[in-house]
Amino acid sequence: MQIIDRQKVNEQIRDLKKKYGDDRSALMPILQDLQEIYEYLPDVVMQETAHSLGIHPVEVEGVASFYSFLRTKEKQGKYVIRLCRTISCDLAGKSNVARQLENEMGIKFGETTKDGKFTLEYTNCLGMCDRGPALMINDRLFAKVDPEKASQIIADCRRDFLKSDFPKVVPSDVKKAGPILDHDLKPAEAIKKALSMSRSEIINTIRESGLKGRGGAGFPTAVKWQLAGAAKGKNKYVVCNADEGEPGTFKDRMLLYEHTDFLLDGMTIGAYAIGASKGFIYLRGEYLYMKKYLEEALENRRSEHLLGKNILGKDGFNFDIRIRMGAGAYVCGEETALIESLEGYRGEPRNRPPFPVDTGFQGNPTIVNNVETFIDSALIIVKGSEWFNIHGTEKSKGMKIFSISGDCERPGIYEFPFGIKVSELLKEVGGEDTKAVQIGGASGHCISQKDFNRTIAFEDIGSGGSIIVFGPDTDMLQVARNFLEFFVEESCGQCTPCRDGNPKLLGGIEMLENGRCSFTYLNELKKLCETIQNASKCGLGQSSPNAFLSIVDNFKPEILGRVPEAD
Amino acid sequence: MAKILIVDDDEDFVSAVNLLLKSNGFDVAIANSRQEGMEIFDKDNPDLVLLDVMMDEPDDGFVMAQSLKKKAKNIPILMLTNVGQVTGMDFDKDSEMVPVDDFEQKPIMPNILLEKINQLLGK
Repeated sequence: MQIIDRQKVNEQIRDLKKKYGDDRSALMPILQDLQEIYEYLPDVVMQETAHSLGIHPVEVEGVASFYSFLRTKEKQGKYVIRLCRTISCDLAGKSNVARQLENEMGIKFGETTKDGKFTLEYTNCLGMCDRGPALMINDRLFAKVDPEKASQIIADCRRDFLKSDFPKVVPSDVKKAGPILDHDLKPAEAIKKALSMSRSEIINTIRESGLKGRGGAGFPTAVKWQLAGAAKGKNKYVVCNADEGEPGTFKDRMLLYEHTDFLLDGMTIGAYAIGASKGFIYLRGEYLYMKKYLEEALENRRSEHLLGKNILGKDGFNFDIRIRMGAGAYVCGEETALIESLEGYRGEPRNRPPFPVDTGFQGNPTIVNNVETFIDSALIIVKGSEWFNIHGTEKSKGMKIFSISGDCERPGIYEFPFGIKVSELLKEVGGEDTKAVQIGGASGHCISQKDFNRTIAFEDIGSGGSIIVFGPDTDMLQVARNFLEFFVEESCGQCTPCRDGNPKLLGGIEMLENGRCSFTYLNELKKLCETIQNASKCGLGQSSPNAFLSIVDNFKPEILGRVPEAD
Repeated sequence: MAKILIVDDDEDFVSAVNLLLKSNGFDVAIANSRQEGMEIFDKDNPDLVLLDVMMDEPDDGFVMAQSLKKKAKNIPILMLTNVGQVTGMDFDKDSEMVPVDDFEQKPIMPNILLEKINQLLGK
């Protein structure tokens, strides 16, 4: 057992507090850095962290045990291998890679090799759905892994000579760019324009554009900014939700890399509009490899007076952005859970009201917007509301960026107007023989051919950008199982219907697979879905039965074919 | 006779205030939404506006106040809302985002409302 010098731990914590602050919100980054040092979080480390921040050690353990990327029980291996188990990687042959990895190392998933070299884990969506199967080793990503490549990667680790598939950035796979992805705007142009406008003029321009949140919920961006701007409070915050965890979504990965300046412009404009002086990018743990790149981008902007005090010479406009890393919790994509995580708590969604626009980060007015929303905002300020709202439908204005993966000829990132028909989209991506399409990720809806004439828009089938295409040979029950396993794993456990209901649904899938699910029980499960939707307090719980319900409803012959005669 | 425009989507509140104001000698115009309120404002040129916050959109009152102050800077606006009780949100007047002349929480006692109105009308 490793002997840990308590005094040394305290010195390390003291240094980390200088870097991250000495209030509770510093807890997560401190724990993440301490885990880097000790390869897990031993009791003594958590105890000293607790004492140092003036909280109970149980609170620290409660936080550490919530996040899948924080390890409290045992030392992790030198190489932590996380294989993506999302449906897109599943369709691309994840199972064979998993078997190969287990054979190579002689361990099962969730275990560490005796020599302490490897830890093998599953993870949910690495944001590489167009290049699956994907795996992550520490902070390095590997795409299109097959058993042979997996074997080579393990051999490289054994020689301590691991080369990344992507030494710097993951190249983008933009298959179709439109006005959002392909424009002539220069960085900071939007900030210059915004600083010549009043705060209400900025918000009104966004309002006239009809921009709604691109994360999936579709709340009007201008309303959020207006309410936060009007709310009382000296300290206001701008938070970029870069916790892109919805299975099948990888567009933010590209936007964070290739449109960084426009994202930061959008955040800065948001800060000016609501009167905020501090901002955070909450970056998902799986995108750790981007942290350095983003920190460099922030540093460059500080040197160009685009962040910091009196931005671009505007007296009294001070704003800076810090990056906070998530730690493998999908639920933190929900804005109140994200704020809890930023504050150093378990990422459990809050009751609403109060709303973040008034009572957000540390009780202060806060806007939380998606990466794409901030980018759209920056472009709208320069190009005007009409430039944006001539695209889309009456209730869903503008262009939308989609991550398209699965059984199609041309997976990748596409920019389409809202209101596009599913059939048109499938034609573009080369999915003409498609059996089903999952729109909106695991929390979205799975539609069959009869619905391919429906449109993707907030008023029809909404989507935060994830589109997963299923070919004619896909077993839809396997799809439902994959999504339910995801929700069982990712439920934060606060609401009983979500915590206990989703395992029941998963149990139902197993019964269906084995031909042991009666019609009566299937109907009971559908009623349970309604309860989960109605009685869960956050979007995760409310949307968790969507895939199950839509697959059961839309693929009845396939599902019911496995049900025994009615009882 | 001073003319007061009430912009509020709460019909019970509107009818009670309408009765109160009329019985105290005011001329009253009523709108139940921001859009209707702007139309009546342009047509009727009221002397004072009683304005709710949350109507069709949660920020309609703020948006309307900003538009009104651009059109007619000197028209007094009294914002009346129970947004604090319903949502826990805490707002107050400010020259840029909530450009109103006074900000009061609902429910409000009739005598206080009349006092505020008279104050804003300079009576």
